[in-house]
Amino acid sequence: MPSKKKTKPDLSVDFAGIRLKNPVLTASGTFGYGEEFADIIDLNRLGGVIVKGISLKPITGNPPPRIWETPSGMLNAIGLENPGVDVFLRDKLPFLRNYDIAVLVNIFGYCLEDYVGVAERLDGVPGVSGLEVNISCPNVKAGGIVFGTDLKAAFELLSAVRKATRLPVIAKLSPNVTDITAFARTARDAGCDGLSLINTLLGMAIDIRSRRPRLANCTGGLSGPAIRPVAVRMVWQAAKAVDLPLIGMGGIMTHEDALEFILAGASAVAVGTANFVNPRATLDIIGGMEAFLVQEGIGSVRELVGKVCVA
Amino acid sequence: MPSNKLHRAKVLLHRPAGRGYYRLVLLAPGLAAAAAPGHFVMLRVSANLDPLLARPFGISSVIAKRSIELYYRVAGRGTTLLTAVEPGRTLDLLGPLGNGFPVPDRAATPLLVAGGSGFPPLLYFSSRYGKQARLFVGSRDKECLPPAAVMKDLRSRTKAVHYATEDGSRGACGFVTDTLAAYLARPAAGESPVIYACGPNAMLASVSRLAAEHSIPCYVSLEERMACGLGVCMGCSVSMKSGGYKRVCKEGPVFDSREIDWGGKTILQVGR
Repeated sequence: MPSKKKTKPDLSVDFAGIRLKNPVLTASGTFGYGEEFADIIDLNRLGGVIVKGISLKPITGNPPPRIWETPSGMLNAIGLENPGVDVFLRDKLPFLRNYDIAVLVNIFGYCLEDYVGVAERLDGVPGVSGLEVNISCPNVKAGGIVFGTDLKAAFELLSAVRKATRLPVIAKLSPNVTDITAFARTARDAGCDGLSLINTLLGMAIDIRSRRPRLANCTGGLSGPAIRPVAVRMVWQAAKAVDLPLIGMGGIMTHEDALEFILAGASAVAVGTANFVNPRATLDIIGGMEAFLVQEGIGSVRELVGKVCVA
Repeated sequence: MPSNKLHRAKVLLHRPAGRGYYRLVLLAPGLAAAAAPGHFVMLRVSANLDPLLARPFGISSVIAKRSIELYYRVAGRGTTLLTAVEPGRTLDLLGPLGNGFPVPDRAATPLLVAGGSGFPPLLYFSSRYGKQARLFVGSRDKECLPPAAVMKDLRSRTKAVHYATEDGSRGACGFVTDTLAAYLARPAAGESPVIYACGPNAMLASVSRLAAEHSIPCYVSLEERMACGLGVCMGCSVSMKSGGYKRVCKEGPVFDSREIDWGGKTILQVGR
């Protein structure tokens, strides 16, 4: 079909009411607030940016060492260091408004009220396209149970955030659970407009000579290509369980990786650790995806969502 | 939008430099033009996914305004793989990164304190501001000193070299901080010293203490594990006395030694 090869494939996606010019986003915590990358890549070419997690008050983060490289991956325990929502609105968001891209603000807290506080502050703010809610934090008011690994806590939290904002709410699911579909359904029942998955897998590494953990925090989040098959599996399971749009992430390095997530059921993807390894990774992935669609004679990336062939 | 930090650099020269070090020269005109002493680069040692992350290397020299020179010692899997890279190949390179050393006052006497494999940024510094400088170099034994060719350059660029080895095989027997302390106790007439140091954290903590005792300005170049080198991963943060953290890759790697919470750092050093 030579005629098809001439037309540029359509990469645009409507994600929970948010228009993305292409399905490639940057994963929270791997792209800062965009400034550091602006003199390396043209941010306007991205589908969107999911900014580093924002809390109600500033957080200084964990003591070093904070990162440790592992086979095809890395552990991190940064401790969600961030300047807080007020400084974000004053100093960080205006920069991102200069670009014609979706801006999803990742929010978190250590009690339900903190999450609600941030969500309220961001409601109606120009330049914010939606909220991504990191539910992998401990609830200090409930004995430190992690919101995202307890169905009741997750439901209460996401319902409260839902009520606090008119923005699209995207729940970022924790993979550290036995049945991801139960949490996908819970997020849907709480009124979420979409899901992000997966967050990092909890891991640990030990220095056998000093006998101490490699991270000062002892445990950390594992990311990078090492976790990709786990992430693709969870996206596939969640896509079958709920009728919500999904942002797939977990070790995406290339456009082939991104397309795996889309075939598994993700409408959009987020590139994380790859940004550290290759600051151009997002643009390479967008370019590769477009070339793949041309090659295969596929008119729109939307045609591939969830189209994994399962006999 | 053209990138001013991402480079595809051709390997011009790569060979053992003696004393366990390798010398790597990369053609990267844009990077070379923007570099200054104290800057570093992130280098991907292979295109494979394991090891995944790029490695930071301090720039030791800019050659003919078009190339940069790096020295490294094989310290793990990343540097082991790097040794196999042959001249003619291209490598992905990010830089120059970091803040660099402050330019010394004309009247100042820079005291360059190099410990372990911390000499590269000071070698670069000496090429611009070496004339008035004194070098204090220390290692476990004379075989662990910087490579002979590096020492030759350092000797010719500086006005004096003070050696210290822990086994006494070259220069004074003891730590580099012992020779530095001896000098600071009786500095040469007319010299107003400013310290520029790079080496293991325990050494930098001691140098910082000496500087404080003698009320001398002191700049230290820190080394930390880092993932991105761009200031986004927040993995290389170090504790500040004023509370909170700063990123070695962005606010550093060069810090005024008074800023650093050395207590936190030296505690972490124990048992390494």
